[in-house]
Amino acid sequence: MKALLNRWSFWCLLAIILLALFGAGLFDGPPEREVASAFSKPLWLDRTLPPGMELRLGQSAPAAELDWNHGAPAGFSVKISGGESNPDRYVRWTTPDGKSFNLSPLRRGAEVDGRDISFKRSLGLPPFGDAAAALFPAKGAYRAEITGEGDWEGEVVIRMEGGRWGLLGTDQRGRDIAALFVAGIRVSLLVGIFATLIATFLGATLGLAAGYLGGWVDAVIMRGVDLLLSIPLLPILMALAALWGKGLWQLILILSVFSWMGSARTIRALTLSLRDAQYIEDLRGIGAPSGYILRRHLLPETLPVLLASMTLGVPGAILSEAWLSFLGLSDPRVISWGRMLHEAQSFGAFTAGAWWMLLPPGLGIALLCLVFLDLGKYLEERIDPRLRGGTAP
Amino acid sequence: MIEIKNLSVTYRRMTSDGRELRAEAVKNVSLSVEKGRFYALAGESGSGKTTVLMAIPGLLPRGTEAEGRILLEGADLLSMKEEELNKIRWRRAALVPQGAMNSFTPVLTVGRHVEEVLSVHLGLPKKEAEGRIASLFSMAGLEGELARRYPHELSGGQKQRAAIALALACDPDYLLCDEPTTALDVITQQGIINTLKKLVDEKGLGLLLISHDLPLAASVASRLYIMKDGRLVEEGPPREIVASPQNPHTKALVGALLDLEEDS
Amino acid sequence: MKGYWARRTGSALLILGLVLVLNFMLFRMMPGDPVASIIDPNFSPEAKARLSQVYGLDKPLPVQFWRYVKSTLSFDFGISFLTGRPVMEELRSRLPNTVTLLGTSLLLSALLGTWLGMKAALRRGSFLEKCILWSGAVSFSFPSFFVQLTLLMAFAAALPVFPLRGTLSVPPPAGGMALLADYLWHMALPVFSLALLGFGGWALYVRNLMVKILGEDFILLARARGLPQRNIVMGHAFRTLLPTLLTIFLLSLPGIVSGAVITETVFSLHGVGRFLLEAVTGHDYPAAGASFFLLALLTVSCNLLSDLLYGVTDPRVRMERGGRR
Repeated sequence: MKALLNRWSFWCLLAIILLALFGAGLFDGPPEREVASAFSKPLWLDRTLPPGMELRLGQSAPAAELDWNHGAPAGFSVKISGGESNPDRYVRWTTPDGKSFNLSPLRRGAEVDGRDISFKRSLGLPPFGDAAAALFPAKGAYRAEITGEGDWEGEVVIRMEGGRWGLLGTDQRGRDIAALFVAGIRVSLLVGIFATLIATFLGATLGLAAGYLGGWVDAVIMRGVDLLLSIPLLPILMALAALWGKGLWQLILILSVFSWMGSARTIRALTLSLRDAQYIEDLRGIGAPSGYILRRHLLPETLPVLLASMTLGVPGAILSEAWLSFLGLSDPRVISWGRMLHEAQSFGAFTAGAWWMLLPPGLGIALLCLVFLDLGKYLEERIDPRLRGGTAP
Repeated sequence: MIEIKNLSVTYRRMTSDGRELRAEAVKNVSLSVEKGRFYALAGESGSGKTTVLMAIPGLLPRGTEAEGRILLEGADLLSMKEEELNKIRWRRAALVPQGAMNSFTPVLTVGRHVEEVLSVHLGLPKKEAEGRIASLFSMAGLEGELARRYPHELSGGQKQRAAIALALACDPDYLLCDEPTTALDVITQQGIINTLKKLVDEKGLGLLLISHDLPLAASVASRLYIMKDGRLVEEGPPREIVASPQNPHTKALVGALLDLEEDS
Repeated sequence: MKGYWARRTGSALLILGLVLVLNFMLFRMMPGDPVASIIDPNFSPEAKARLSQVYGLDKPLPVQFWRYVKSTLSFDFGISFLTGRPVMEELRSRLPNTVTLLGTSLLLSALLGTWLGMKAALRRGSFLEKCILWSGAVSFSFPSFFVQLTLLMAFAAALPVFPLRGTLSVPPPAGGMALLADYLWHMALPVFSLALLGFGGWALYVRNLMVKILGEDFILLARARGLPQRNIVMGHAFRTLLPTLLTIFLLSLPGIVSGAVITETVFSLHGVGRFLLEAVTGHDYPAAGASFFLLALLTVSCNLLSDLLYGVTDPRVRMERGGRR
């Protein structure tokens, strides 16, 4: 088993699973939250663009300083939450050249957006003026503070929308791609693992039955295998997904019903070769019931093979889920990598040139598939040392 | 004359984790084969006899180390390139493989194999080849019309005879026979051995027979070599070897042979 | 021999019949009222009833089934719910695009893959072989649509060399040659991407088969006969491989319909694949039913054809097939 610790895929899978379990904690708020303007680039890209930023003011921190080294942000908004309304207090904005503005009185639940005409008017701008440009006239130190008379318990969020946000940018609705990416791991892992688990169980049962019982049972099962193997999978999956519903568990069941054939064949062949082995015949000779032989001898012998074929089957299930989601045949409320690619294609990632919407989910799927392929290869080699290969020098 | 001088062969294999596995299959073997005589090289399986045979036409797996010399009428085959070897293979020395071997390309007729060799080595057009195929087949003791059959349509004995016909196609000086009678019934075995013997006696071929069957080898060969664990442990006329074996291994083998003869 | 073909054809017909029944049941059990999906919900009940009558949905199920079988077998698939035009007409306008797309890319990838796979098998341990072993795993792991989207992003959006979408420009250019050039320009990236996705698998497959065959006794013996390399590789090794390759080629045909669905969706092509997707998602029974029937027909005939071809190209099968399988 030590060799497993030397496989890159093992550590990679471990990291992916940990990320799926605890990754949500890296982000504040759910992945559906709109955090910045649509199609924001990743932070590390195009540094001339202003990043999206937030200033939070409250009772404990009534003032905040901001060093601004870019042009004016794409958008500007102030949001006030909590606390009683206190019209005597307001948010003051001081620019590096010493001008100051009254952004908004502290009214509970007030939201002020740079595009509002009333806000522009309160700043003394014409209706077609650019509030963000007026508030950000130069590079330098800005200051936002809560001033005025009286107490106030609440929070002020001043958000400057930039063209850059987060590790991986945002999508067409301004959601954080990094958060969506982490949320999408779950679906791929769940579908990949459970669909193959069920499929392998089905395949093992039918393969054992066909191999051990033989006769018409074998004939019927193997004809079924031939039939299912000859029909193209995707159209059938499409029809069933549309017919039966788009839920995650329906999808897992549909996928497993159409992918048990491989393991059934393997297990049948293995059972056939074992069935005639001497010790099995001896067992039968002393009157051991079929069920006992199947359970206690044939199944344990076939288990390692099953494990390997299962691991190698996971990529197929992951890809099938991705196909269906990409075609829009998955639950739109469930975030998955295929869904992310579907939205990238449907909502103009191309015209926006937002390649960062494309690469993370696509590479995520590919990486997960490669990880399982490598693990499967490792398991196969453990079962059959001949596969370890070796070529003439 | 084929002379093998101090031949040592080491098989090499790389494992997937980059180690090299080495196995010395033949150690310092010297023997010779002259035209018009019947030689036999006997030994149990794994003794290295097939490796010696395959080394002659340069058919050892890629990466195998072979030291020593293999001379064909004085020219060293071991140092030859593939193109030079191709001029010698089949025209000078032909191979008769084991009958159980999958020795014919399954999707081509047996006759097509002969035809190809005739056209490649002798430049014979298809029309002329047909007549020659018929005579080759009758020389090997087969009906000519079997040439139109596919390998899987022939019985084991027929396939073996077809292999002999194929080996004779370019009139070689030497025949290298690798267990040509294994997996055949006794009567067919005898027939094939008789055919080979006739070829040596009538056509003056030099023949090297590889066999694990010592009685058979001793009964037909004029000179017998015995190998054990990659080394040549005994050589001489079969009569002498049977009468006074030098090596303990041969003694045991001959002892078993004598027991058999006394029983019968 | 005759019995064998009779059995094969019989089971093919049985499968087609099964597909007919399934088709009929599946699409009549689909959620979503088909009539509701084609008309305004504010239609009067009389109008709805009349529409039901036009589509024959008011008759009892056995009658509906009989009419369904009769019309399907005469390739009359009815009127599409979504477009209001005969399904056959819709299919006919889309089929040439799909055939061009799949035919060209499959041919390209099979030829290129076979060539590279043979080369890799002949040069064990070479850089080419490593590339092919690697590309097989990659083409198995990367979702096809992701690769295509990336290509689209790179060569149509970032570098506008190829068009972003569609089969023809809007409006299409006048003149035969210009129209053809425009069509080829639109099809280039889809065809190229499908070929790219396919050839790795082919190369790996051919390489594995070839490596196995090159290790066979009869190849060693062909070498022993002093045959030139070209004879051994083409005349013996490849000739032995050929029946298997042809079979796989034919059997892979139905499967590439999946490729058509994906590719036509990614590149917004006017093809049968996208029609199928729209029919399934839009509860368009006649269109989806027709697509599935044709797909089953394609699958069954490819299976039969591959059996036939295998029998012709591989002499070993001609005899054995009589009794076995």
